[in-house]
This record gives sequence, structure tokens and C-alpha cells, in this order.
Amino acid sequence: MNHIKLLFFATIRDRAGTKSMELDIPADMTIQQLKEKLGVDYPNLKESMKSVLITINREYAFDEAVVPPNAEIALFPPVSGG
Amino acid sequence: MSQFPTIYFIAEAEIDLNDLLAKITLPSTGATAIFTGMVRGVTSRGDAHETEYLEYESYIPMAEAKMKQVADEIRVRWSSVEGIAIVQRIGKLYPKTPTVLIACTAAHRDTGVFEAARYGIDRLKEIVPIWKKEVGPDGQEWVEGDYIPKPGE
Repeated sequence: MNHIKLLFFATIRDRAGTKSMELDIPADMTIQQLKEKLGVDYPNLKESMKSVLITINREYAFDEAVVPPNAEIALFPPVSGG
Repeated sequence: MSQFPTIYFIAEAEIDLNDLLAKITLPSTGATAIFTGMVRGVTSRGDAHETEYLEYESYIPMAEAKMKQVADEIRVRWSSVEGIAIVQRIGKLYPKTPTVLIACTAAHRDTGVFEAARYGIDRLKEIVPIWKKEVGPDGQEWVEGDYIPKPGE
């Protein structure tokens, strides 16, 4: 198992009801699989998982990426700074 | 290029233009292009509405790393640019308040310095993790961008 930290921002934080959580996931779980798991475990997040942006250790990551041990994963909507 | 000052940060305090300008101005600087975004209280373009305030949040360590990446991209495209400052303010910001500042200095104004500042704000709005919630007379709503970063961004 891999221990990871999840961070939520903006609309995703509102729907998750928390800023962050820690999670144990199977080794070699991909981002796609993590999104599916979150959609099942947290039904409020299911709809958001279709358009969410995800980062691994502060770099944008994509569906096929494997989540490394102790990763800091952030989930958020497309950015709106400025 | 390493001797040129590059400043980038997420700020909770007011953006101090004079302080930033002093830090990015060199003896060889003769031109600075500055862009600042403001909180617009009255919007008439598109869906007309009024705004009481905007509330900004950021994934700060990643945001500052991506601001540095934007500055690096500016330097690759405009070798004439001397100093660069990129600052985003977060928290509750009211109409007429500056929210973001991009400033680029160069020896002369015809060296691409305007385009460099324009590029900086456009890229910040694409890849730097910052979000704003708009609060108005009819309630509140998160503003969502539409840019999906590509691998390597």
C-alpha cells in the first residue's frame, strides 16, 4: 500500500467538505483509478471527477500516471487567477 | 540571464508597485510594461452583473513554482526582458482593488516588453493554481477557467 495526501481546492473542496485527507492506496494505482475510487467513496465528488485537474507533487498529472508513494495529490477545477 | 531579477509570490498584503519596480529596475532599464488586474464592480460585457467582492485562494507552493515557470517561459521568448515581477494577491478583494501584477522591464519599449507582460498574465490564467469566488447581490459562485494544462506544463 502507498500512503498519500490529498488536497482539495475551490469547488472540489466545497463538494468534498474538507481541505485535505490522507489515504492508503494500492501500489501502482493510476490517476484514472484514483479518480474512480474517489467517485465511489465520495459520491459528492463523482460528477467533479470528469473535469477535475490533478497534480502529483505540484506538477500536472494525467490519467495514466502512477501515483508514487507519499505523493501529495491535489484536485481542483480549471484555474481562474488574475 | 541569471543576473536579471525575477520576483514571484502569492501575497495577502496590498501589492506595492513602487517596491516591485525598484527591485526589477536595472541601470540599463528604460522601459517597464505593467499589467494589473482589478476587481470589476460592474460588469456589462456578456452576462451583466454586479460584484461585491472576490475571494481568492491558491495552492501556494505550486502557484509560486508555476509563476517561476511563467517567468522562465518569458525569458525564453524575449531575451530583451531584464526584470520580471509576477504577484497575485489572495483573500477577500473589493472593487477597484489590484488583484494581480505582471511587470517586465527592458532597455527600450520596442523590444517586446509589452508582449512579454501580456504573455505573463495569459499564462498565469492558464497554469497557475489560483481560484476566485465571486460574491454579489444574487449570491456567490466559483469562477472556473477553461484551460486544460498539457503534459509538461
